[in-house]
Amino acid sequence: MWQSLSKSLSLLTFLVVIVCGIYPLSLWIIGQTIFPFQANGSLYQDSDGKLVGSKLIAQPFTKDEYFQPRPSAASYDATASASSALAASNYALRDRIARTLGPIVKDQNGQLVAPDVEKWFQRDKFQDKQNIVAEWATLHTSLAQAWVNADPAHGAYVDAWMKRHPRVVTQFVKDNPRTPQPKAADLAVVFFQNFSKENPGRFPTAVMHTDAKGKTETRIEAMGAGSDVQSIFFDLWRQEHPGVVLQEVPGDFVTTSASGLDPHITLQNAEFQLDRVATKWAADLKRHPDEIKNEVEQMLQQNASAPLAGLAGEKFINVLEVNMELRKKYGLPPA
Amino acid sequence: MFIQTWLLPFALLATATLMAFPLSQYLAWVMDGQYQPLPVFGWVEKKINSGPQNWKQYSGSLLIFNSVLFIFGYLVLSLQPWLPLNPDAKTLLAPSAIFNTVASFMTNTDLQHYAGDQHFSNFSQIFFGITNLFISAAIGLSALTAIIRALRSDASMGNFFIDIWRVVVYLFVPVAFIFALIFLQQGSPMTYKSSYQVTTLEQGAMGTTDKGEAKPQTIVVGPVAAFEAMKMLGTNGGGFYGMNSAHPFENPTALSNFFNTLAMMIFPFALVLMYGRMLNQMRHSLVIFMVMLTLMACTVIWTVYFDTEKPNPALTSHLARLYQIPNPTAASGKMSLEIPAISGLPVDQHLGNLEGKEMRFGTSAGATFAALTTDVTCGAVNAEADSLNPIAALSPMVGMWLNCFFGGKGVGMINMLLFIIIGIFLAGMMVGRTPEYLGKKIGGREIKLAIIALLVHPFMILIPTGIFAATVWGMNAISNPAAHGFSQMLYQFSSASANNGSAFDGLGVTFGFYNNPNPAPEAVAWDIATGLVIMFSRFLPLIAPIAMAAFLGSKKSSPFGMGTLRVDTFTFAVLLLGTIIVIGALLFLPVAALGPIAEHLGPIPFGG
Repeated sequence: MWQSLSKSLSLLTFLVVIVCGIYPLSLWIIGQTIFPFQANGSLYQDSDGKLVGSKLIAQPFTKDEYFQPRPSAASYDATASASSALAASNYALRDRIARTLGPIVKDQNGQLVAPDVEKWFQRDKFQDKQNIVAEWATLHTSLAQAWVNADPAHGAYVDAWMKRHPRVVTQFVKDNPRTPQPKAADLAVVFFQNFSKENPGRFPTAVMHTDAKGKTETRIEAMGAGSDVQSIFFDLWRQEHPGVVLQEVPGDFVTTSASGLDPHITLQNAEFQLDRVATKWAADLKRHPDEIKNEVEQMLQQNASAPLAGLAGEKFINVLEVNMELRKKYGLPPA
Repeated sequence: MFIQTWLLPFALLATATLMAFPLSQYLAWVMDGQYQPLPVFGWVEKKINSGPQNWKQYSGSLLIFNSVLFIFGYLVLSLQPWLPLNPDAKTLLAPSAIFNTVASFMTNTDLQHYAGDQHFSNFSQIFFGITNLFISAAIGLSALTAIIRALRSDASMGNFFIDIWRVVVYLFVPVAFIFALIFLQQGSPMTYKSSYQVTTLEQGAMGTTDKGEAKPQTIVVGPVAAFEAMKMLGTNGGGFYGMNSAHPFENPTALSNFFNTLAMMIFPFALVLMYGRMLNQMRHSLVIFMVMLTLMACTVIWTVYFDTEKPNPALTSHLARLYQIPNPTAASGKMSLEIPAISGLPVDQHLGNLEGKEMRFGTSAGATFAALTTDVTCGAVNAEADSLNPIAALSPMVGMWLNCFFGGKGVGMINMLLFIIIGIFLAGMMVGRTPEYLGKKIGGREIKLAIIALLVHPFMILIPTGIFAATVWGMNAISNPAAHGFSQMLYQFSSASANNGSAFDGLGVTFGFYNNPNPAPEAVAWDIATGLVIMFSRFLPLIAPIAMAAFLGSKKSSPFGMGTLRVDTFTFAVLLLGTIIVIGALLFLPVAALGPIAEHLGPIPFGG
């Protein structure tokens, strides 16, 4: 027993010296001398020598002048990699993707369907039932609750509504004796049912107002159009318009990666974004879109590579590298 | 497209098989002590050698050494705030999370209820992480060697401390060094620094601070290449970063992914042949090898077919369905439930299910990895297992349930030995002859030990899953509805009991730092329950077979005769395959039906 213990201690000591000392240290020396770029995180600098990002870590791009990486379940936070962990059977997955699609999907003639979605929404009918927002909230309870919790402003709006509708709240408490003091999220479905009756064909949407002094203020208003309606109600619209032929969007454009930091998109995805990027640069630089498109297309082709030389998969591009190229060639996009 | 999908899994299986032949020779050479150590290593060997051991001494040393390792790990993690290499001032993990993590890494499980990038300093990554990656991997391999020595009736089982030393220093360190160089060259960081702040190319894209300044992106780095190589080679699977081998720093390219995947296969493959070489039963071990390879290929083909060749069903159209549900209150005794037709979303899914996949690895890389990682009890992931297509996720679960499709280092072969003993016993019963293995009569005591070792596993999966599914511990932790929520719990306990370590990541099991204001609500229950499962399922199935082999080996060899069941034939392969499938199906078919199969057959999306 004691012999085993002392042997265990000396074995552990020898092993720690080797595997925690010598082994990583010799790799560190090789890394810092032979592969310094990789060993320090594949970091890129801009012309002033400031670090702009890592070749291997996705960073967000909001401007239309840039290619966008895949959506990130980690919000591109490189200290906390994360996947969505949404199962196929979880409606949250379909809903997230439908919301991305709503504002950008085109029909076979190349026309956005978003205006159709808005027009249909304003008719305020889903599957022959009145009050579409109420139908939506009843079908998708968790989404209605998620809306209330998504933004403090939403919660405050429902709180204010609860104060204006004490009778509805009392009725809810009577129907649900288990929640004697309901919070805003508990009442989400009731709120939307009530809202839908009072504002047919409209959805509570955050709208930014600028007053005369240039001060901005965000208020929630009942809107029958806009990006909320286009995205949230696209899936319901689709259920009533199964026959409309829509142009398909590349799979990796709407799916999150496993790490949330995938720096690559497929070439197909980049080509899909090419029109948007080229048109925007053409407008900024007052040049012909086709010309820009050709130049950017060349950049994409130059950057593209494929897994194991194409034996294991299709071509992809590195989003940061291509966007750095764009920046180098066309300068800073206007604010 | 066909080549882009199927070449990668085929190339991996073929390469690992080819490498197994020379590597097994080297393994047998080292473990039989036929080498001449360098003077300094020879000095260390003298220091740690405690002489020849019988099975009780060998298992005793194994347990004592593990206790020392446990205490060492506990100290490193619980002193994290006061130890060096911690410039980001990472504080203390929650106590239950420390217990879980130490148990998990010591046993080669590497189930992670924490995220390395968020919760570990580089000191912990090296002195807790890398230490355990090397040593826990050596323990199973040493146990297998001891079993082999017993089966061939050696005078002793060898010496535990010398075995661990040989495995780590003569085997793991040189191979890990080579793989670490590959990962380093491909882009894995290798530095003692912790993080870099970068301004993003589009400034302010990460949002703005309260003062209105553009937020930087913080890039976490560290000694990743050194960690990564042993994480995969030791089939540990505990990532440096939260998202493991999916993280671009752990696995930067398609080539690094190939070697990442290959690394977890080579030792489990080679060990089966080492078993044959050391016992002088090469044909027998080739039969076992082929059975394992067949089963492994089936799991890989299954996952790739259902995940890469099929789209994600969340986005496709579905016909209307009518379900008949038994309902005692209805007149007909049945209630019918109609699910309306669902039309598809306009998403091009020709590359298969891309939710939770990385683009750089290749088309089928995520699915291939998912199946292999549980077959060899590695538990690293390069894609999100939670988001696999429902029926595709069945195959990783089967890999964990049977735990012998090569299995972990040593442990997989030991599990297979149990199936072999039970298979031979069943065959013996059927034809009415005394069952024999390698000329040794299998008696009641051996069968009892084999059954104990085999039954620990289903007990440790099914009972806790049942308890958690029936209580708030489980129901407050799941993040996906219905059958998939059940799968999340089932997967977590399967992974713990199989000492695997992969997970359906949506399950809320992370407490984080001890002062985290918003921990996962049931994290403590999960930490303790899976921690205990991990320890039971590690040591009982390790020590019972050592005892069994010792008893078998001490028997007199009976001569090979007409009635002896040959263990190196095709017939034996079929017998073994049948035993594994029958036992596995008897134990786990019901939960498979409640989890992934129900999800696959039920409506998608389900509620919400």
